[in-house]
Amino acid sequence: MEAAAITHAEHHGPPPAHRSSRVEAPTLGMLLFIISEVMIFGAFFTAYFFIRVVNHDPWPAPGTTLPENVAGVNTAILLSSSLTLHWALTSIKNGNRFGLRAGMLSTFLLGLTFLTVQINEYIHIGFAGHDSAQATVFYSLTGLHGAHVLIGLCALAMVTIRAFRGHYSPENHRGVEVPGIYWHFVDIMWIVVYTTVYVI
Amino acid sequence: MLNPLRSEAEAFRLLIYFVAVVAVIVAVVLLAEALT
Repeated sequence: MEAAAITHAEHHGPPPAHRSSRVEAPTLGMLLFIISEVMIFGAFFTAYFFIRVVNHDPWPAPGTTLPENVAGVNTAILLSSSLTLHWALTSIKNGNRFGLRAGMLSTFLLGLTFLTVQINEYIHIGFAGHDSAQATVFYSLTGLHGAHVLIGLCALAMVTIRAFRGHYSPENHRGVEVPGIYWHFVDIMWIVVYTTVYVI
Repeated sequence: MLNPLRSEAEAFRLLIYFVAVVAVIVAVVLLAEALT
């Protein structure tokens, strides 16, 4: 009774918002976001599978080639960025501020390299989106993923700047954790895009 | 149970598993294509 009175006396502001006791709000938000993202990618993959599985059209379109080797190196670059991001977060959990800064900066630069190579690929690939259905799907899938990389780079840039300004600690690293989950999701989606568009 | 939304570490682990599974699937598909 006395403790309740003290708690009541210390509470200021509006009452806490109603929330589920089973799922944390940030986790639920990320879950809903990723489900919506999977649906968006799913819609684009439907067009891809319609061309290849339903219509049995050749892939890529006759007279065009896709730079599998360049895309393979780019895939390695993107996967490396996940590794450096994991290193950054592990470092700050252990109180290693240098590891956080070096890891975040490396992740950002690797992501930027991936996007630059992708844009360079668009410039030199030799066909436009309106040339064929295959070309449309190619630009749609890789472009949609590229847009996600761009958004991820914005988040990574903010985290990197904050890391260099002395933010985050072993107790408080949520700001690195959530963009990290997003970045790994972007990597997973690229594995699917790379495999279906370039390899198989 | 692995929940990739719980932490970055679990999301990273899922990525590793995913890469391994996709590599096996691609190897099987390419092998099948080469043999047929």
